Amino acid sequence: MLSTLELSPQSLDAEAPVRIAVKNLDFYYGEHKALKNINLDFRDRHVTALIGPSGCGKSTLLRIFNRIYSLYPEQKATGEILLDGRNIISNDVDVNELRSRVGMVFQKPTPFPMSIYDNVAFGIRLYEKPPKSELDDRVEGALRRAALWDEVKDKLKSSGMGLSGGQQQRLCIARTIAQKPEVILFDEPTSALDPISTGKIEDLLEQLKSDFTIAIVTHNMQQAARISQYTAFMYLGEVVEFAPTNTIFMNPAKKQTQDYVTGRFG
Amino acid sequence: MTMTSTPRELPHQPWGRVRQSRRTADRLMKIIATGFTFVAIFVLFWILGMLLVKGIGGLSLATFTAVTPGPGSEGGGLANAIVGSFVLTFLGIAIATPIGVLAGTWLAEYGRGSQLANLIRFINDILLSAPSILIGLFVYVILVEPFRGYSGWAGGVALGIIAIPVIVRTTEDMLNLVPGHLREAGAALGAPPSVVITGVTWRAAKAGMVTGVLLALARIAGETAPLLFTALNNNFWFSPTLAGGVSNLPVTIYQFASAPYENWQQLAWAGSLIITVSILLLSIVARRIVAGGK
Repeated sequence: MLSTLELSPQSLDAEAPVRIAVKNLDFYYGEHKALKNINLDFRDRHVTALIGPSGCGKSTLLRIFNRIYSLYPEQKATGEILLDGRNIISNDVDVNELRSRVGMVFQKPTPFPMSIYDNVAFGIRLYEKPPKSELDDRVEGALRRAALWDEVKDKLKSSGMGLSGGQQQRLCIARTIAQKPEVILFDEPTSALDPISTGKIEDLLEQLKSDFTIAIVTHNMQQAARISQYTAFMYLGEVVEFAPTNTIFMNPAKKQTQDYVTGRFG
Repeated sequence: MTMTSTPRELPHQPWGRVRQSRRTADRLMKIIATGFTFVAIFVLFWILGMLLVKGIGGLSLATFTAVTPGPGSEGGGLANAIVGSFVLTFLGIAIATPIGVLAGTWLAEYGRGSQLANLIRFINDILLSAPSILIGLFVYVILVEPFRGYSGWAGGVALGIIAIPVIVRTTEDMLNLVPGHLREAGAALGAPPSVVITGVTWRAAKAGMVTGVLLALARIAGETAPLLFTALNNNFWFSPTLAGGVSNLPVTIYQFASAPYENWQQLAWAGSLIITVSILLLSIVARRIVAGGK
């Protein structure tokens, strides 16, 4: 099993600064405690994968980093998540500003019911009023970065809903990076896509990490092995093991981790 | 597949045999259902047919140019009633649309799941089925009596009150159909709730919401009872201030159909045809919009 995994070349820089530090984090859905005492560091311009069986809390954890959970009043987080030293789960944080700095791409593509151009410009227009020519450049740049420009450059005015699933997902990535966030969260971004679209998105992630700090939740262990430099294995709301991806897949410290990555459970 | 188990014993009965009693029950059900469908459609076509035959007979150019005739006078048309109905209906919709859309938005977006929202939804459902004559009386008490006079404004308000619950309901239903992950995607870009609602959710539900408004328009276009106590009716052009009563099709039909003059009865049929065709066209447009939005 292990031999079939293509591991990413060791491009990890152990000296890279910590961008997001999670300290003693607990999370509740109403009374139910879904995350227990999470401690993790996400390094600048690295891809960190969160893996684990369904219901282990990996998506829950991801949804704390941009405070999207606070749309739902019954959900609550306690502890600390430091983004550049600031605790983002404290009440005095402007969540909208936070979300413009921490972008998110969802499992299902979420194009807005508007033109391709307006989709990408949506996030930019929220906080900036750039002149038309600059806006055009930003939109083009984001679409190029998301490897979608060549496919849509002649139909920027047509609806984003008319694209294929894989194109829609790249449109959502373009929309997110157009806002120039520092961190991008990917919540199983390829689990609704075919293998070819998945390959394109994985290539994209590889390139994006030179500019962004990336956290990705994935069900697909090969994917985690291919694209991430660090991996956290989670189970039942706890982080079982957190280490460089190669260590997690080749030489895990915990038996539970080994069983999961070799497909013996989960 | 790991193991192959021994194949299951096949039943001795050959395939494709159904007991006779089931066949009979099935056929009987089909005949009854088909029969009653024809009854329902027959009545509908009877009404439409009668309207067409009698209505077209009463239609002429004068129907659209002349004002409603007084008692005993010859000829006449429905021009003032047609224009009056347009004015009252659009006044009603102009009042109801902002109130209904915003209330429906509150229910679907801000109040979702709260006790207050459940209460408002319940009251709205009651209002939806309230007898329209009651609403006419209510507006009579608050707008006609205090100002000592019938007016088009009172009529528009009465029609608006009837349209509001329809629009609230369809707006809420349509917004609830917008998938939650679209709202999350808007919020994840740092858009405050107001921007997510106006820029994303409304846009996604636009076709359905417009249809709701059009259906409310069709609903109030033929309402008679609420106008009896408010806009009243008369046989001349109404004043531009809409004071002192505004002529309109439904009340004209009500008065003319029961009158002994033949030209009045003719005009009542013509008026009914005009209303029916207008509502039909509105419904077709509404359906087209829904189909186009998909």
